[in-house]
Amino acid sequence: MDAVILGVAVVNGIVLGGLYGAIAIGLSLIFGVMRVINFAHGSFLMIGLFVPYWLWQLFKVNPYVSVLIAAPALFMLGYAVQAVLIAPLYRRERAMVLEPVSVLMLTAGVGLIMDNLTFMAFGPDFRGITLDFASKAFRFGDYLNINYTRLLAFQVSLGLTALLSLFLARTDLGRAIRSTAQNRDAAALCGINVMRIYNVTFGMGCAVLGVVGCLMIPFYPVSPSIGLAFGIRSFITVVLGGIGSIPGCILGGLVLGVVESVAAQFVTATSASIFSFVIFILVLFFRPTGLLGMKV
Amino acid sequence: MATESGGRHRVVTATAAIGVLLLAAPLAVTDEYHLHVLIATLYFAYMASAWNIVCGYTGQLSLGHSALSGIGGYVSTLLLINAGLSPWIGMVAGGVCATAVGVLVGWPCFRLRGPYFALTTIAFAEILRIWTENTEEVFGIELRGAQGLSIPLKGHAPALFQFDGKVPYYCIILAMVAALMAIAWWMERSRMGFYLKAIRADQDAAEALGVHSTRYLLSAMAVSSFLTALGGSFYAQYYRYINPERNMGLDFSIELALMGIVGGQGTVVGPILGAFLLTPAGEITRATLGGKFPGLHLAIYGLVLILAMLFLPKGLIQPLRGLLDRRPTVSGAAAKSTQA
Repeated sequence: MDAVILGVAVVNGIVLGGLYGAIAIGLSLIFGVMRVINFAHGSFLMIGLFVPYWLWQLFKVNPYVSVLIAAPALFMLGYAVQAVLIAPLYRRERAMVLEPVSVLMLTAGVGLIMDNLTFMAFGPDFRGITLDFASKAFRFGDYLNINYTRLLAFQVSLGLTALLSLFLARTDLGRAIRSTAQNRDAAALCGINVMRIYNVTFGMGCAVLGVVGCLMIPFYPVSPSIGLAFGIRSFITVVLGGIGSIPGCILGGLVLGVVESVAAQFVTATSASIFSFVIFILVLFFRPTGLLGMKV
Repeated sequence: MATESGGRHRVVTATAAIGVLLLAAPLAVTDEYHLHVLIATLYFAYMASAWNIVCGYTGQLSLGHSALSGIGGYVSTLLLINAGLSPWIGMVAGGVCATAVGVLVGWPCFRLRGPYFALTTIAFAEILRIWTENTEEVFGIELRGAQGLSIPLKGHAPALFQFDGKVPYYCIILAMVAALMAIAWWMERSRMGFYLKAIRADQDAAEALGVHSTRYLLSAMAVSSFLTALGGSFYAQYYRYINPERNMGLDFSIELALMGIVGGQGTVVGPILGAFLLTPAGEITRATLGGKFPGLHLAIYGLVLILAMLFLPKGLIQPLRGLLDRRPTVSGAAAKSTQA
């Protein structure tokens, strides 16, 4: 294998991996705080891609401007799903300890509904948009060129992650979220409205997907069926990085992106994801806390 | 506990009555399509029950059972195509292969709990699906990748699991469901059934009491794998076509779990109830509105799943038992007093 081609694959993998990391943040945040696996995570991303797509198709809104609409819209969607569907499960359990599996199936139901309603509304086609900007690429030497849209997505992903970490570390709401994650009962005793924190956390996890959707749509066509693949990819990312760790997400995403990209040089692109699953299983068996995770 | 055992007798009676009705159904149902819906329903009842053997009774959510069904279907079909071996023998071979895979994969997986277990089973099943989808041939055996395999037509050949018309298939799958119910019923009352329930309630406590949890989880997994693979072979013979996406995909695993959970996991009748509710509803929506609204039946499945998780976490079997229990019989009352 040519070293140059391999190098290009690694760089492409890193660029893609940053995005995978940003996609997984929401899943990690929600699991870290609520101990709930959101099986509909990929379907929220699918919605996050459709929002800027339709804003562009109908009103010619630049996808990067659509962030202002998509992120709040996804926040509200996530907030509503948590407040209306998941919260009653918490209220039913006296000790507020959920059987995680039942929430997993509940969110699987939410995902089924979202996927198939969009499928009924828009059909199975892959839909993308073309910006003039998208055809331009950053060139480096003879081999390496990265589309500006991808590069921008990578940079904003990293920025978003840093911003979110800062938000969790410094603001009152961030502190409330972290304390709820650490000890729900103690947080409640300190006057934190735990259920509201859950709603906000779920909403934030989905809002990130609204931002990522706007970044992705210029180079990634959307179809109602993409949800599950991205959901699974996010699980892998989160487990790799360590559940609940925001920087771990980016690290997990980078590893996953590079593995997929390099593996695709040796086998077909569709088989390449086998390697991601193998890594996923190995991490779960031998280092279940992930690369940067704390002891659960 | 008292209400459960009281209702159980009536549930058994009701099930037996429905069983007799189902046995007579081919005489009344002459329409091919209706018979097909019945066969599909029984097939899902069978598969959901096989899933229930390990997942319902132990509380570990497997979303990788489609891989076991895929192994069953592929092994029996490959043996038929390449060696001319009758699927009647091939399905047992498929079952043995699936059991081996199920135990080998289950052994490390059962150390993981809750969502970790579920995610790992997904990973294993997806590896198998993606590999099959991208493999045209292996060791000179044609797998035909994503295209899938077709069963060579032999006309009316009972020895090769091929029949004219749908009635024989109906009888076979009905017998399979009955056998599986008997196995589940027997297991529920055996020592193993009690151990599994103890593990479901609290694995650490069960182990502290001396239950060798891995051994019993793996035994349940072995039984479940074998039975799931038999169902996979039946599917291949009935539809005469299998492909990795339909027979090994995650969607199929979710459908099985959904029927088990909606009906009531960890009970003999629950998964069958779930299949009888969801499969005909799905088939009818698909047939009548599928042209206009493709995917509607899956959205309905999703809605039913959400409603079940919110309002009937123990499944439909729970209110049904309550309903049947309102008029206690002598045997029901006797059971109650012994329970109390």
